[in-house]
Amino acid sequence: VVSALTDRAPPAMATYTYTSRPRVLPCQRRRYRDNLMQPAEEPIRYGNIMYDRRVIRGNTYALQTVPLHGQPDPAEIQRQQQAKRRAHAERRAQEQLRPRTPEPVEGRKHVDMQTELYLEEIADRVIEVDMECQTDAFLDRPPTPLFIPAKTGKDVATQILEGELFDFDLEVKPMLEVLVGKTIEQSLLEVMEEEELANLQASQYAFEELRSVELAEVQRLEEQERRHREEKERRKQQQWQVVHKHNETAQKIAARAFAQRYLADLLPSVFDSLRDGGYFYDPVERDIEIGFLPWLMNEVDKTMEYSIVGRTVLDMLVREVVEKRLSLYERKEDKRSPPKPEDRLSGPAGVRDPPVGYDVQDHGAAQAQSPLPDRAPPQRAPRDGGSVERASSQGRRLMEEEEEQVAVRKPLGREELFR
Amino acid sequence: MAHARISMYLPPDINPTQAAIAYGCRALPKLNEELRSEDLVTRQKALVALCGLMHDPEHVYVAIRIGCLESLKALLKDTNDMVRIKTTEVLYIMATHNVGRVGFLEHDIIHALSFLLNDPQSLCRKNLHLAFKHLAQLPTGAQGIVSSGLIPSLVWKLQREEEGVQELLLDTLAACLMEDATEALASRAVPFLKEKLLSTNGNIRSKAARMLIAISIPLEGKNQVWKHDVIPILVHLLRDKVAEVQANAAGALMYATATTEGKYAALDAEAIQPLLQLLSSSLSKARLNAIKALTMLAEAPEGRKLLQAHVPTFRALEKDAVAMQQGAQIAIKVIEWKP
Repeated sequence: VVSALTDRAPPAMATYTYTSRPRVLPCQRRRYRDNLMQPAEEPIRYGNIMYDRRVIRGNTYALQTVPLHGQPDPAEIQRQQQAKRRAHAERRAQEQLRPRTPEPVEGRKHVDMQTELYLEEIADRVIEVDMECQTDAFLDRPPTPLFIPAKTGKDVATQILEGELFDFDLEVKPMLEVLVGKTIEQSLLEVMEEEELANLQASQYAFEELRSVELAEVQRLEEQERRHREEKERRKQQQWQVVHKHNETAQKIAARAFAQRYLADLLPSVFDSLRDGGYFYDPVERDIEIGFLPWLMNEVDKTMEYSIVGRTVLDMLVREVVEKRLSLYERKEDKRSPPKPEDRLSGPAGVRDPPVGYDVQDHGAAQAQSPLPDRAPPQRAPRDGGSVERASSQGRRLMEEEEEQVAVRKPLGREELFR
Repeated sequence: MAHARISMYLPPDINPTQAAIAYGCRALPKLNEELRSEDLVTRQKALVALCGLMHDPEHVYVAIRIGCLESLKALLKDTNDMVRIKTTEVLYIMATHNVGRVGFLEHDIIHALSFLLNDPQSLCRKNLHLAFKHLAQLPTGAQGIVSSGLIPSLVWKLQREEEGVQELLLDTLAACLMEDATEALASRAVPFLKEKLLSTNGNIRSKAARMLIAISIPLEGKNQVWKHDVIPILVHLLRDKVAEVQANAAGALMYATATTEGKYAALDAEAIQPLLQLLSSSLSKARLNAIKALTMLAEAPEGRKLLQAHVPTFRALEKDAVAMQQGAQIAIKVIEWKP
């Protein structure tokens, strides 16, 4: 905006000059909404100076200048006041000249009235009507109209008649075929896929059925098998138990038979052994054996003892007599004959009583059992001699002992004989 | 003549909620990156785009190979509901393809999905159960679900979810229990199923009966079914109006009557009459199951006595398909068996 012509030095305070190159004044008024995009190349809007209010049009000689400052000129003020007063006075004069209606009579009043055809309501309230005024909203800047340059050049026209360029029906056929064919192919593929899927599903379904049926069959057979097996097991068990019992019973019977047979002998053998042991006895016999016979033997012993004692005494007597006689004889024999042994032998033998002859025999038999019979007589002889010689009490005790021994041995020997 | 004007308006078939899909092989990697972005809108738009792409199994394969599943797993824990719903939808669409299912098992998606079982959004849970259902169609998938210990929670959910989701759950559980039923039996599945058998919805009844079939395959299942008195209900269902329900009920009876107690329970509940009527049903499955159930019952002496009068019916069935023929022959053999 700086003038390019101000390089000339201004004259010293003569007149104010301002020159500037003619430029376009930008218009500040926005008509359209600010575009968000704000491209940099948007043209600067400029206003038409024909419609610019700042430009003074027409007569410029008699212009009312607006005072530049706020303070009014005093002369100006006075002139304005005078004008006002004059106007005022004029108006009052006019009012006075105007014809007026006469004043109302006493007790009456002038009232204004409407005389038109249609009555109007007159109210104090002023009829107000709301009016709005609005500046136009900013519109979107319409798109720039296409710039169509003015036509230049020559116009040349040409006309394509029907059928000259191409035959639509012929040309379109391959294209249509391709298009329709592709579409149908695609759709056929899709339909086939779906069908395949449906078939797969159906066969899956059927397989599923068959499988479940087979599975049920398998389970049923399993169950059946299990039941049969259990039944078999049970039966086998029963059978085994039966056989077992059978065996046991047979064994028991065999054992019983064997035991019976074994024990059958037992009783007689027991009895036999007992009898052999002497546990069975006839009480009377026993009594006789235990009681009677010993007593009997005792008595017999006693009797025998008596008889033996008697005999011994007799023997002693005889011995004494014989000794005396012997001594007499010896005294005499010393004078005469030798002694006679067979008298001695037969003497003691013959002197014994005949009931005791049996005893003697026994005695002889018993003594015969003892060692060497050929010594018996010499033994007897010294024994007799001994018995005769030991005629003292000592000899008697001995004899008694011998006799007791003999007596004891005798019942036994007698028993054996009895048996 | 066409105008050389480039219009300011957008083309008419662009979906503003979908991210732009790059051309060719750049599509999936770009979407994968967008899935990991911090901006919520980007993630959502990428998910919507992915939903559209996952219908093609080749894209599923590529997606799994470049590791989309990891980003999806991270998104499952997102706080925004829309993101979770869309993620589960993507996963469910992937699970309809076998590649997707195999990828699930390799990347342990089941575990990540299990956190959403209690999600407040019902659509999220529905998608989750759809994904599980499709996964369970694969035997290894069913095994994966069983080994991740989800069966007890799924059985528990059976009580609480709404009907549509219950159907999905029943399907999933039926497939899983074919693999291994021990966990379900331990978590009181049989009483729940007993209630479901009496539901008013025909679909639920048939699917509950289907699940009972799976449960009563192992011996423990049979014992539980007998103990909880489910057999009379099954016999009652043999007269149901829906043919599918009848078929499944016959199947469940077929397995449950393998044990002696089951047989006598069924005989007490007069199962023979309805089963004989089922022999003339239209569904081949119903006929097969009925024949098998009658064979089971014929093992018991009382059953045999009752069925000896109906041997001609079985002979007539011998003219049917191969499986029916075999079934009929086996049935006749069992009925006429003398100890």
